[in-house]
Amino acid sequence: MREPPYKTALKPYGEALLALARRRPEVLCLGADLTRQTETDIFRDALPERFINAGMAEANMIGIAGGLARAGHVVFVNTFGVFCTRRCYDQIAMAVAYPNLNVKIVGFMPGLSSPGGPSHQAIEDVALMRALPNMTVIDPADALEITQAVTAVADHQGPVYLRLKRGEIPLIFDYDHRLELVKAQVIAGGEHYDVCIVGAGMMIPAVLAAARTLEDNGIAATVINAPVIKPLDKPTIVTAARKSRIVITAENHTIIGGLGSAVAEAIAEAGVAAPLRRIGIEDVFAESGSREFLFSRYGLGTQNIIDAAWRGLTINRPVPVAPVLETAPGAYAPV
Amino acid sequence: MTTNASDLRRLAALIRLNATRMVAIQGFGYLGQALSSAETLAVLFGGGFVRVGRDRFVLSPGHYVIGFYAVAAEVGLLNEDELASYGKDGALLEAIGTERTPLVDLVCGSLGQGLSGAIGFALASHLAGEDRDTYAFLSDGEMEEGQVWEAAMFASHHRHTLGRIVVVIDANNSQVDGSVTSVTTIEPLADKWRSFGWRVAEVDGHDVDALSEAFASGSADAEPFVVIARTEILGQMQSIPPTIDGHFIKLDRALEHAVTTELEAALA
Repeated sequence: MREPPYKTALKPYGEALLALARRRPEVLCLGADLTRQTETDIFRDALPERFINAGMAEANMIGIAGGLARAGHVVFVNTFGVFCTRRCYDQIAMAVAYPNLNVKIVGFMPGLSSPGGPSHQAIEDVALMRALPNMTVIDPADALEITQAVTAVADHQGPVYLRLKRGEIPLIFDYDHRLELVKAQVIAGGEHYDVCIVGAGMMIPAVLAAARTLEDNGIAATVINAPVIKPLDKPTIVTAARKSRIVITAENHTIIGGLGSAVAEAIAEAGVAAPLRRIGIEDVFAESGSREFLFSRYGLGTQNIIDAAWRGLTINRPVPVAPVLETAPGAYAPV
Repeated sequence: MTTNASDLRRLAALIRLNATRMVAIQGFGYLGQALSSAETLAVLFGGGFVRVGRDRFVLSPGHYVIGFYAVAAEVGLLNEDELASYGKDGALLEAIGTERTPLVDLVCGSLGQGLSGAIGFALASHLAGEDRDTYAFLSDGEMEEGQVWEAAMFASHHRHTLGRIVVVIDANNSQVDGSVTSVTTIEPLADKWRSFGWRVAEVDGHDVDALSEAFASGSADAEPFVVIARTEILGQMQSIPPTIDGHFIKLDRALEHAVTTELEAALA
């Protein structure tokens, strides 16, 4: 694993999608007037006959994607997460999820990564997509996982929702890291834990930073990276949770219906006794602002994870303070 | 397959008779949809316009699937015995079409979605370079859904990269809450489609000659084509009181007998 502040990559999704399409002629790319913003300008320029701009008409775009998939295509649908979940939910349910088609819905700007306010912040997209039968839901953490996810979802038979950060994408994992659609991974920690932290997507840097601070203060922390929120790798999570005094989930999403809920269901059904604390957006709509401002204001920071562990373990010492990293332009550090 | 008008009229009567018998199983159901669309379905499938096995057929309002079953049994796509299971628990022939529905390429239950799926098929035909047309059956009530117009705009803008697409609208002026005209003004329908870049034919949807002529006029050039079939929800049946709710007909024994008698007389 690399060390923060993380180096970043640009357009790993767009590059990976184009590479996939060059290998596989059945791959098509659909968009809704957000071509550069969804990194698909490089696809459009290289393979214009396989790029279809549906315009600002997401419901129609999803229906068209369904028809194309029925005819044998693997269809990547790209727009912002809010517009390809909230806006066309019935279309996704009926035209994609129910017939279990090869439509891969790629939603950009997850959670509070958008400065655009509630209209552009997909804070419940995972909850919506997770509720649909047949749907796989993925929230990758870094550029390597994004690149691997593109191939993995194309190989997967059925619909997928892939939520992707825009812009500079951190490089967190080493090149031997493998994203699998059926596995979560223990990425930090040992055999005996005080706290088990399960995270995904943009929260992984904060989860890793919090775990390190806790370790530095004598608390054994195990970190699980769970990019595939559905189907959740319950055995890995339950096994770690059983050994822990407290379980914490961290998601760039409302705490209702996303990763935290999925983990809660898994450990409750398995009879795990450890209490659970969910770090995420606390059932509110947010506001406009920078990532740093919003993650801090809405409780998605490293310190929030440390605080939750400290309170959950009822430790009678002052709460350690998360280190603040100097970040050069183009580098990425957790809030 | 026939282009003979009297044969097509006879097929339409058989569609109505099959549908009446299917609805009689439960005593209520989507009979009106089959009554209004009988000639359209007769011409599409009996008249050889939909090349079964080659062209794709999309049924947007899944409530009309009864009419499709009724014609499928007459043109040899479906075993006539199957019709007796319509709407029963566990039956393959469900009252509103689903993914289990046989023979159609796409049937929607949530309204307004069919044209988008049909456009997906038409794009795929073009990409594959196949001679494979797409027929999409829509109803007038679902014109209230915005997605229909998103799709209409898309098809016209992308007409050079679409395989041939033909839409037929069963304009029977019926929806759940009453007549379409009483709920929302969707007219002028022909002008709307024309202004969205479609070639439009507007015909008496109970006139098999007019329907045949309209479908035959569909050219292979890049132009999406819509046929607006003006129909009556009760299919001009004399035996059904005009005050009845045509969207979801309650068919008691007396009414069933009256309807069946009228249709059998027409077939005699």
